[in-house]
Amino acid sequence: MKKSIIVSVLLMVIVVFSAVAQEGKDKFMVQVDGLGCPFCAYGLEKKFKEFKGIKNVKIDIETGDFSFSYPAEKGLTLTDVEKQVEKAGYTPITAKVERANGTVEESSAMTMMKKTEGTITKNVMVAGNCAMCEARITKAAESVKGVSAVSWNKDTKIMNVSFDAGLTSLEKIEKEVAVAGHDTKNHQAHTDDYGDLPACCKYERLNY
Amino acid sequence: MRKSIFIIFVLVFASACKEKVAVPKEWVLSKTIQLDGVNPIGLTQVNGSIWLSDGDHNRLVKIDEEGEITETIDSLDRPMHIDAIKETIFIPEYGKDAIETVDKKGRFVMQVSDSLDAPAGVSVYKNERAIADFYNNRVLYFDGANWISFGKEGKAEGEFYYPTDVQITKDKIWVADAYNNRVQAFDKKGAFLQMMGQDQKMNAATGIFVSENEVFVTDFENNRVLVFDMSGVLLQILKDQIEKPTDMMIKDDMLYIINYRNGKLNLFDKRPIAGKE
Repeated sequence: MKKSIIVSVLLMVIVVFSAVAQEGKDKFMVQVDGLGCPFCAYGLEKKFKEFKGIKNVKIDIETGDFSFSYPAEKGLTLTDVEKQVEKAGYTPITAKVERANGTVEESSAMTMMKKTEGTITKNVMVAGNCAMCEARITKAAESVKGVSAVSWNKDTKIMNVSFDAGLTSLEKIEKEVAVAGHDTKNHQAHTDDYGDLPACCKYERLNY
Repeated sequence: MRKSIFIIFVLVFASACKEKVAVPKEWVLSKTIQLDGVNPIGLTQVNGSIWLSDGDHNRLVKIDEEGEITETIDSLDRPMHIDAIKETIFIPEYGKDAIETVDKKGRFVMQVSDSLDAPAGVSVYKNERAIADFYNNRVLYFDGANWISFGKEGKAEGEFYYPTDVQITKDKIWVADAYNNRVQAFDKKGAFLQMMGQDQKMNAATGIFVSENEVFVTDFENNRVLVFDMSGVLLQILKDQIEKPTDMMIKDDMLYIINYRNGKLNLFDKRPIAGKE
């Protein structure tokens, strides 16, 4: 009898402790664009290992749903999470956190653009051939409010762009470049826009 | 009489010397093995046995002819495109930025000249080694004496956009340039030699296998394996039972192709093309 009471008490203690431990975790849920293969999923997981204390990492390649829990006392923000997703090479579409204290925070593509984050610099692949392409690509990117500096290398096809993340986003800049006729990593130019390019600028289209 | 004997002799001799006409052949699915609880990414063979890397479950498994697991190597961190020489298996650990070797003496970490960021594939050929260094968009190659590094992010010749697999052959280094959707080949100084598959609308060329006469590439998102000749001419597209393919190899004249998502191992053999026998 005494033994069973001790076992019961121990079990209760374990349950209480695990509940407390669970309470001390923030649960993050992010929908990520661009995940397609295990290399992508494991890559995302790998970049998030830099967040010491991360647990319960789950990634669904099919849906792009990515979730994990993180110690509440570290105060990880949605912005930190979104930046890390981008660092891994992917684009966050929506992000949500259920804090250990019961509050819920959300961000989406629209709200992300409203934030004031200061100037950040990103690299992204943009298709093109020549100096004329370079002028067109940089002009298109510079036309986006919040972009402070942009360059494009015709050899590497990489556009380096600095912008105020509170005013715009890489996605918006890529879209503007695509409207100018140039395929980017995440946005394909419309056939008509591509067709309007001079012959020397008719680059090899990117595959999506 | 002597004349007729002479004629018969000449005819027999002529028929014996007649050059055999090569019958065109193609790869045909002969068997599919359903693996239980394995999501394979790479495969290799050791002493005739098949080993698979099971990235989702952080392990390597050895399987028998029916696909049953007979041996396991655990506690790996996202093992990817593996390779083997003699009795040593080389395992790129994507999540640990290391290449681990496993043999009868134990488990060791391979010394590499530079730090890796998500090694996705490894190849061994005699005393040569090559690593597809995914996030660094480069290949590291050891010629038996020195390491070299080649490639950087980009779309031009010799540049990569997330390389995921590599294979060393006698005189070349072949790279699955995954998100440029193509294969590139280099000499052993790292100089670009040739490219193939860039016109085949592949979507994630994640795995490569090079045999004596053919180059096999997995077209992951399109559920295909493309077969090229050594100059890059497309010979055949394999689709039968192929779903999210990740790697291939030839063993005893059979082509083995693994599916990541549904854990199937498909065996193809080469048969005369119908109507062309």
